[in-house]
Amino acid sequence: MSQTNNPLIAFSDAMADAVEKAGAATVLVNARQRMPASGVVFEPTLVLTANHVVERDSNLNVLLADGSQINASLAGRDPASDLAVLRLERPAPAVAQPASTDGRVGQLVLALGRPSSGGIEASLGVISAAGGPARTHRGGLLERYLRTDTIPYPGFSGGPLVDAFGQVLGINTSGLAHGAAITIPASLAWPLAQSLAQHGRLRRGYLGVRSQPVELPSGAEQALSRSQSTGLLLVGVDHGSPAGSAGLMVGDILVGLAGHTVSDPDELLGYLTGDLVGQATPVEILRGGQRMQLSVTVGERS
Amino acid sequence: MDAINNILTAMGDVLAEVQRSLVMVQGRRDSAGAGLLIGPAGPGATLVLTNNHVLNGRTPRVILPSAADYAVELLARDPEIDLALLRIEAADQPAARLAGRDGLRVGQLVFAVGHPWGQRNFVTAGVLSALAEAETRGPRRRVPVLRTDAALAPGNSGGPLVNAAGEVIGINTLIVGGDQGVAIPAYLAAEFAAAHTHPAASPQEAFV
Repeated sequence: MSQTNNPLIAFSDAMADAVEKAGAATVLVNARQRMPASGVVFEPTLVLTANHVVERDSNLNVLLADGSQINASLAGRDPASDLAVLRLERPAPAVAQPASTDGRVGQLVLALGRPSSGGIEASLGVISAAGGPARTHRGGLLERYLRTDTIPYPGFSGGPLVDAFGQVLGINTSGLAHGAAITIPASLAWPLAQSLAQHGRLRRGYLGVRSQPVELPSGAEQALSRSQSTGLLLVGVDHGSPAGSAGLMVGDILVGLAGHTVSDPDELLGYLTGDLVGQATPVEILRGGQRMQLSVTVGERS
Repeated sequence: MDAINNILTAMGDVLAEVQRSLVMVQGRRDSAGAGLLIGPAGPGATLVLTNNHVLNGRTPRVILPSAADYAVELLARDPEIDLALLRIEAADQPAARLAGRDGLRVGQLVFAVGHPWGQRNFVTAGVLSALAEAETRGPRRRVPVLRTDAALAPGNSGGPLVNAAGEVIGINTLIVGGDQGVAIPAYLAAEFAAAHTHPAASPQEAFV
């Protein structure tokens, strides 16, 4: 069928091949009252989908590319990032391959979905913008996200955004940005999915401080030996909290955590990841204009 | 650079070919659709395929790429699959190539050509988004349709959806939900045309 001497036909075949390849690991997710949505097999028995399309906790199933149905249970969900993981009763034959690099603006992409038993569906477009960090309306923080001009057909939430080789660039969802479709990059979604499969929820770190961003006083640059213009002024430290126990005080200006520069609240939230819970973590502050480093045993946010 | 140039050249060839057999079909004074020359209809005449809804119940005017206007005869129409077959008194016209059932793949590149909002020979691009079915009120109950993300607008109706090889894979038919294009597969259109150009089929029978 392929007439590879015609470059346009070769290009067209490549797009259809990408859909076929990624479509093999794209499943229909049956977990809500109205029309089904989509999901991506990221391990033989694990499916990543959008949390908002999983409206019930039981009686879940997925439909594979070959038309067979597998019962599933809810392994974990995170409303803040609108991701959920389903565990399959038996392994699915095809596993999606995440792309090794994040998408670039202008790159050709295909949004895939399997909202019906009629077969895989696709829409072509480009990555229009890469953004983040952004707060989601569910109280989460999305470090990075992609926007595309692909058509978000009904039931595409939970499905993959793939590159021209059928590798997954991210998970599409219309549940994070007031109905607009965005893509959670695979580099974020895959680790979150692993964590959800392991723990059932996403662990997030807790310090026990209230803070507001402030401009750093003159001389801070010298004290820090780097150029940084803002930090987080601690305006409250909860008694008995990880921060309190570590000796952080109201009036300290937090400028770094775990080796990262912290200049606004979103960055602090972003760096307080679940893997820090229980770990002695260096916190860098300015106190009276002097740089200090304290060790905080990060707690878990409930 | 060369790879992209070759793709763009091939794209130009595909579009130039399909535009030679693209016509404008005026069923009403205030709106026009598209149509496709699909082959000879006996000596000195050519078959034209278009959407039934473009006709709006009457024999339309057909305007060729050369801007010429020909006498038109309505051979058949089928509201259920929204197709109509016309015969125009024009000889030796370039015929579009209709693709068969095989080779349709979700994700393949497609081009829609028509006259959206009256703009002649307007091209939009996308992929074949889904091989789907549409429910009908007719005896078939369900008919296969092609869905595409290539932008369609009024005036695309009756025009071709073309693949990368320049073959017509569908007749653009309607727009659902603002951004979903639907096309009737070309293999259905070919069956429809064949059924109504068979010697046994008279135009009268087609209106039963």
